[in-house]
Amino acid sequence: MYAPLLANRYLTSRIIPFIAVAAVALCVALVIIVVSVMSGFLEMVRSSGKSLTGDVVVSRPITGIPDYLELVTRIEALPEAAAASPLVETFGLLQMQYGNSDGGKQIEMVEVWGIDPASLDRVAQYRDKLYWCAPSASELSTLAEDDPRRDAFYQRDEAGMSLQTADGKDGVVLGIELSPFNHRERDGSYRTLNPGSRQHDAGYFMPNAGAVTLTLVPVTDGGSLGGEKKRRFSVVNEFQSGLYQIDANRILVPIGVAQEMLRLNEAPIVSREQVDAEGRPLVIGTSPARATTIVVRAEDGVDLLVLREAVRRVYAEFWRERAMDPKRLFETPEPDSVDISTWEERLADFIGPVEKERELMRTLFSIVYLVCAGLVLAIFWAIVQEKTRDIGILRAVGASRTGVLWIFLRYGVLIGIAGSLVGVLLAWIVVSRINDIHEMLGAPAPLWLKSAAGLAVIFSIGMTVRGVRRASALHVVLWSFATIGFLLVGVALLLHQGFLVWDPSVYYFSTIPSKLDLVTAATTMLGGVVFSVVGAAIPAARAADTDPVQSLRYE
Amino acid sequence: MLLAAHHVKKTYELGRVRVPVLHDASLTVREGEWVAIVGSSGSGKSTLLHLLGGLDRADKDSGPISFAGEDLRAFRARRENLYRNRDVGFVFQFYHLLPELTVLENAMLPALVGLSRLRWISERLALRTRAAELLETCGLSHRLNHRPAELSGGERQRVAIARALINKPRVLLADEPTGNLDIHTGGGILDLLAARHAEGLTMVMVTHDAAVAARAQRQVRIVDGRVE
Ligand SMILES: Nc1ncnc2c1ncn2[C@@H]1O[C@H](COP(=O)(O)OP(=O)(O)OP(=O)(O)O)[C@@H](O)[C@H]1O
Ligand SMILES: [Mg+2]
Repeated sequence: MYAPLLANRYLTSRIIPFIAVAAVALCVALVIIVVSVMSGFLEMVRSSGKSLTGDVVVSRPITGIPDYLELVTRIEALPEAAAASPLVETFGLLQMQYGNSDGGKQIEMVEVWGIDPASLDRVAQYRDKLYWCAPSASELSTLAEDDPRRDAFYQRDEAGMSLQTADGKDGVVLGIELSPFNHRERDGSYRTLNPGSRQHDAGYFMPNAGAVTLTLVPVTDGGSLGGEKKRRFSVVNEFQSGLYQIDANRILVPIGVAQEMLRLNEAPIVSREQVDAEGRPLVIGTSPARATTIVVRAEDGVDLLVLREAVRRVYAEFWRERAMDPKRLFETPEPDSVDISTWEERLADFIGPVEKERELMRTLFSIVYLVCAGLVLAIFWAIVQEKTRDIGILRAVGASRTGVLWIFLRYGVLIGIAGSLVGVLLAWIVVSRINDIHEMLGAPAPLWLKSAAGLAVIFSIGMTVRGVRRASALHVVLWSFATIGFLLVGVALLLHQGFLVWDPSVYYFSTIPSKLDLVTAATTMLGGVVFSVVGAAIPAARAADTDPVQSLRYE
Repeated sequence: MLLAAHHVKKTYELGRVRVPVLHDASLTVREGEWVAIVGSSGSGKSTLLHLLGGLDRADKDSGPISFAGEDLRAFRARRENLYRNRDVGFVFQFYHLLPELTVLENAMLPALVGLSRLRWISERLALRTRAAELLETCGLSHRLNHRPAELSGGERQRVAIARALINKPRVLLADEPTGNLDIHTGGGILDLLAARHAEGLTMVMVTHDAAVAARAQRQVRIVDGRVE
């Protein structure tokens, strides 16, 4: 019956248990925060590679796959596939409407994607990537007061989805980092680069009046370059995939336009020998339009490798039918020459380092975890060690070893649980507020904080003087340290002009991942309790084992 | 014969140095007897008392210590705990109270140790009353809820005595129970113990004060690790 009494007394009548709770809490919070943010970041890096791509990609660069619509239909019929969309992928030169700093017109080498917006939306949520569009209700609440997208003028959903201007002409969608007139703010949002009236602004708002000239070079069957094609397009919207490399390099055009410019569109096939009545080469058939790529989204829960195999089978079948038909005048590429792989395989170069990073991080975390565990262990060891004499007394009046052990197990469990809970709470607050905290760090210190630091300095100088008058060494020591501490904080606040740890233009993303990793939280909590208990139990068991007289001699 | 030590040996080992403290110490205490152990400082009085109380182990080649015919060395863990808890009451030379517990709780401690949770619930009030009465006879009724740190040395000594008596042991082993007290207070404590003795309590008391030793029925002296 003495065990609960003593455990509770030890917990409530001293300051040490609170320090122990705080220490356990800080250790637990540290581990959870670091693991959550870092693994969230790596996960974001990994999955962002997938941005605007499907789960499985069929690709035959340059010459493309004929009859692709038929292939898309067959792939979509697979039970493993949720949707498929054709693309024409190529590179081109983009000439911007406005000059760059050295006077000439800005010319960029870009990745060009001919897309079919409707099916691409089904495969890769194309609509969500459009930047200038009406925000959803949930977005609206997080949007800054002066975000232009609150204004209907900037909401260009339909133009983005149709890739057409209001008067029905073909339009293009630029990656948001491509245009020099989008300025990325520190918080990661974009601003069209011009203050002042909207009329004026409109000139700099690419989807409004902007136009670009795109140059593509078709490649003939024989592999030589055809004459380049140059066309001027209106910009109808911009997209943000979240991945800087894509946003700064890619432009989206209607698939028909890309096919036409690359000569991948439907075309008559003419005979070399025969001529028609008017002496022109005789048309003996049509070559169907081609797509270089088909992106496929897996049905929920389907393993990507399973989907890949299914798509490979579909393609083999698709090819066999055409190869065996003697009347076909155009060639369908053999299955061996078509790359069918999952997005992870396609982005292996990109994902590989991320996975390595993850391994490295796991090792580092184990070290952080061990250090924290050691700390918790040491704290309990010291606390219980100090109670050796008490254990001697208890054993001398007849308490059993298990009874003594039980006191300290209770003690460790209670502190461990309390500390872990506080730690998880702390971690949750920090992780869920991490972007706010980051923003606060990014701005110069507010005046009230500086004034508070100033007042604290004056107050602690006063207290030091009082300590000197009263001849209290403890007061003098504590308050002079406090003075120095507050002074340093104050100077730091004055000098602090704000710094961004998470620069959106350096990292890929505009926000820091802010999701608590539940598995980590649970295991770390458990670890916090276990190490508290072990740390308390070992010295307690040792003391319980020694003869009371020996323990009583402990000072 | 309630308590008997036969040719007891005790050697402390400090690293490589062996410090023989008791060799061939024998002592018998009859039921109801009051024995005083005297001897110079460092002669091994406390050591002998600790051995009698089952708080320390004698050497391997030592003779037996027995309580009511039972050999202490043969005790299993359970019996050993029971012996310390019930059969003997021990008053330490340096009090050894638990600093986090109040005076009342300290006095109740051996009783708490012996109680299961269930019996604690039914006997709680009776126990408190008994402890409070005991402390009152020790003159501490106004200090029940104080912490040991708030007491004087003599007051702590009296709490330690109350703690030793709470489980109504058959033997009281007291190490210098009046060592830190003035003659007046010390006399009071001795009267208290004498009253217990009159009720039948067996007492073994270590002291270096001849006047205190004179109140015992019998005095033994430790010289050169032997009892004379
Ligand atoms: N744990 C120990 N380790 C080493 N030596 C010890 C230990 N305990 C006691 N001694 C030594 O044993 C001897 C006897 O000690 P003990 O405490 O029994 O003396 P004492 O007769 O009670 O003396 P006092 O009258 O000063 O209380 C002393 O010399 C002491 O240094
Ligand atoms: Mg002594």
